[in-house]
Amino acid sequence: MNGPILEVRDLTRAFGGIIAVNNLNFAVKEGSIHGLIGPNGAGKTTTFNVISGFYSPTRGQVIYQGQDVSGMKTAKLAEIGLIRTFQGTTLFKEFSVIDNVRVGCHRSSRASFFSRITGADRAIEAAATERSRELLDFFNMGHLADDPTSTLPHGHQRALGMAVALAADPRIILLDEPFTGMNPEETQRMMDLVRRVRKRGVTVMLVEHDMKAVMGLCDIITVMNFGSLLTEGTPSTVRNDRKVIEAYLGSAIDAA
Amino acid sequence: MLEHRIVKWLFALALLAGLVLLPHVLSFSQREIAVLLVINVLLVVSYRLMTLTGEWSLGHVVIMGVGAYASALFAKRLGVPVPLSMLLGAGLAGLVAGILSFPLFRMKGFYFLIGSFAAGEVIRLIWKFFSYPFGGPKGIKLIPPVPDLGSVAFYEPENYYYLCLVVVGISLFILYRIEHSRIGLTFHAIHWQDKLAESVGVDTFRYRMLAFVLASFFAGLAGALYAHYVGTVNPTRFDVEEMGFVLIWAIVGGTATFYGPILGVVVLTVINEIVLRSLGFDTARPMIYGAILIASVLFLPNGLESLVEKVKAAFSRPKQAKSAQQARESA
Amino acid sequence: MTELLLQTVVNAVYAASYMSLIAVGLVLIFGVMGVINFAHGELYMAGAYTVVALYSQMNVPFLAAVAAGLIFVGALGILMEYAFFRPLRDNPLGGLIASIGFLLILQTTAVLGFGVRMAHIKPPTQAKIELMEGVVLTHQRLFVIVAAIALLSALYVFLRKTKFGWAMRACAQDKEAAALQGISLNQITRIAMFIGAGLAGVAGALTAPLVSPTPYMGHSVIVTAFIIIIVGGIGQLEGAVVAAILYAFVHTFVTTFFDGVVADIVGLVLMLVVLVIKPTGLFGAKERA
Repeated sequence: MNGPILEVRDLTRAFGGIIAVNNLNFAVKEGSIHGLIGPNGAGKTTTFNVISGFYSPTRGQVIYQGQDVSGMKTAKLAEIGLIRTFQGTTLFKEFSVIDNVRVGCHRSSRASFFSRITGADRAIEAAATERSRELLDFFNMGHLADDPTSTLPHGHQRALGMAVALAADPRIILLDEPFTGMNPEETQRMMDLVRRVRKRGVTVMLVEHDMKAVMGLCDIITVMNFGSLLTEGTPSTVRNDRKVIEAYLGSAIDAA
Repeated sequence: MLEHRIVKWLFALALLAGLVLLPHVLSFSQREIAVLLVINVLLVVSYRLMTLTGEWSLGHVVIMGVGAYASALFAKRLGVPVPLSMLLGAGLAGLVAGILSFPLFRMKGFYFLIGSFAAGEVIRLIWKFFSYPFGGPKGIKLIPPVPDLGSVAFYEPENYYYLCLVVVGISLFILYRIEHSRIGLTFHAIHWQDKLAESVGVDTFRYRMLAFVLASFFAGLAGALYAHYVGTVNPTRFDVEEMGFVLIWAIVGGTATFYGPILGVVVLTVINEIVLRSLGFDTARPMIYGAILIASVLFLPNGLESLVEKVKAAFSRPKQAKSAQQARESA
Repeated sequence: MTELLLQTVVNAVYAASYMSLIAVGLVLIFGVMGVINFAHGELYMAGAYTVVALYSQMNVPFLAAVAAGLIFVGALGILMEYAFFRPLRDNPLGGLIASIGFLLILQTTAVLGFGVRMAHIKPPTQAKIELMEGVVLTHQRLFVIVAAIALLSALYVFLRKTKFGWAMRACAQDKEAAALQGISLNQITRIAMFIGAGLAGVAGALTAPLVSPTPYMGHSVIVTAFIIIIVGGIGQLEGAVVAAILYAFVHTFVTTFFDGVVADIVGLVLMLVVLVIKPTGLFGAKERA
């Protein structure tokens, strides 16, 4: 049961002459919370974008549940249970909160075109609404269901982004920098949410710049630097790895 | 809430009665205008369905022409009974849109606008170039009319008006249902955040295509209704200036609500055909039209519908949770 | 056959010259204002009718009438900028719609002032050069070609060598950055509108004796201009000139050897192909990753 749900094999992605990701290998175990970290420019966002179907790999493969999904489009990946989220607060801001989640229910609410016109899809839609409410309750946002999304506080908007993704029935959820721009209290709450998502049987892979946040959360951490794999291991091994410390220090000095 | 519902039903009943009685208070030429107005309502409402996904086409009137030409040719050359030829024409318009989706939806925004314009012009020039079967620049004349229904003759504007009212009414009902179903929700979702929609499994190309095909089907139906009423179609009738009018109706009315474009086409047609005509401005009408257009973009950027929404808000003080839905619709 | 071929080349050069003027004006307006000016064809028409009024009806010398056309239509450009493009700066669709409104106003003005019929203008000169036996270039056409080259060269120098020109290019690249450099956005847009509209006007004025103006002549012009700016790459001034030459040659040759409508179709299909394959235009920058 604990085989890899997602695997990246010899992944390379180049833009023109610049190699953003070079020969990367790692595997995400089913049921785990897996972190992909690295200093700025390490290639983790590119890796994320390749896995989620935004770019196709220049070389190498992305294997999901034993199937080669390299270069498959985002919507197709979602179809087979690989769902990504976005940085910041990418939401349907013009919708009510619950309508955001209802869009997320796209996969489970299929109905024929004519049933949409005749209203024969009523049962399906009622189920979608029910599910959306349940998900909002799960994130303690049930009371905000009918509010306009644009007025939600920042923390709630980030949680809503997760709710939309969860509504799509992921087997694995890819979180794009879920902690960026959060204060310690919000970070704590978000970590708690991620753990609860895993408890629902969803594998979590997250890309994060901030090392501290992921240490307490991830089972396994993959560290990238300059487009390549630097090291991989449990938080405690990674924390004490000299190469990791140097990489982060180096980038801090560069940035200064 | 019960009070609200009663008001709504009374309003709907009054509207229906008004529409049914309308021809009886109009002159003959005004009845002809009323027929065209009803057809144009379908044209502009179908156009709005397309814009829900965020893409503005400049080829919608040409697509209407595809329905008109096709229905005319089916009836005239192949002897297809007119009501059936109308449906075939509409279907062909949808099919053309489906084929055009492949090149056009590689573009977005401004490029789509220009691309749809180019595609439309190519279709129009094809009509112009091929005398057989399209009749060249002169188009097709003597298009068979809708056959009489018992003693009801449809060359009478009054009777054709009722026919259009029924066909357009059914079409609007379908369009309304589509928008308020999950399909419409998905269209809106693609408009506001297509990447997010894709991330939960929405095939954005297929939905853009669906919107285009549906909009084109009903535009084609409007074209067919037009062709068998006027009896003649030609390439100039579906040129970019006509498209300009559709844009104007939609923009002046507003596209955030279902009724916005209807408001636009009705108000502008009444101003144009009745008020300005009766004031004797004939050649100057396009100029006044142009001025109205500029003024409305400048001073009423959210269209006539925004005025109605304000009035409605003033009357319904207990707002409750509906604000969420209103926020979406007026965004 | 050789004569016909060469004559077609001459005709294409003439077409390229006035199409360049129109397309460059449209590109300039788009670059600086960020809006597609649908009334551009009617600005061309306004230039032509300036010549009808001044030269044909009031006997003003032709050159003076052309200059007046440039200034008058340039002023119309400033009026458009002031009346709606500036207030609608953050609303490109609104700007486009307003320009359609303005198109209707200009068209109706021409109808009211001059009637819907074609205005025939006697060319100021009937002289012609016989380049070869059977290959003729009238002075009037030569004048259009020379004027177009002169005006576009002047524009090039203006954009490359003067402070305003530099500011205008900066503004087309990045409005915020330009504003940070202390450039007055309003002044830049006003000048750009004057030049952009003026170029359309002067094109109309120059060609008026050759085309018999009608109030509805703008339609085919705007279609042509759209094709050119798409093929050349939106916002690319040099691209617009190259595309104008390309289009003029293709269109003139297909018209001569096949048919005018086929030529129009070929032009539009060319544009569609460019849009599908390389939306930034044949001469535009590569799309960023």
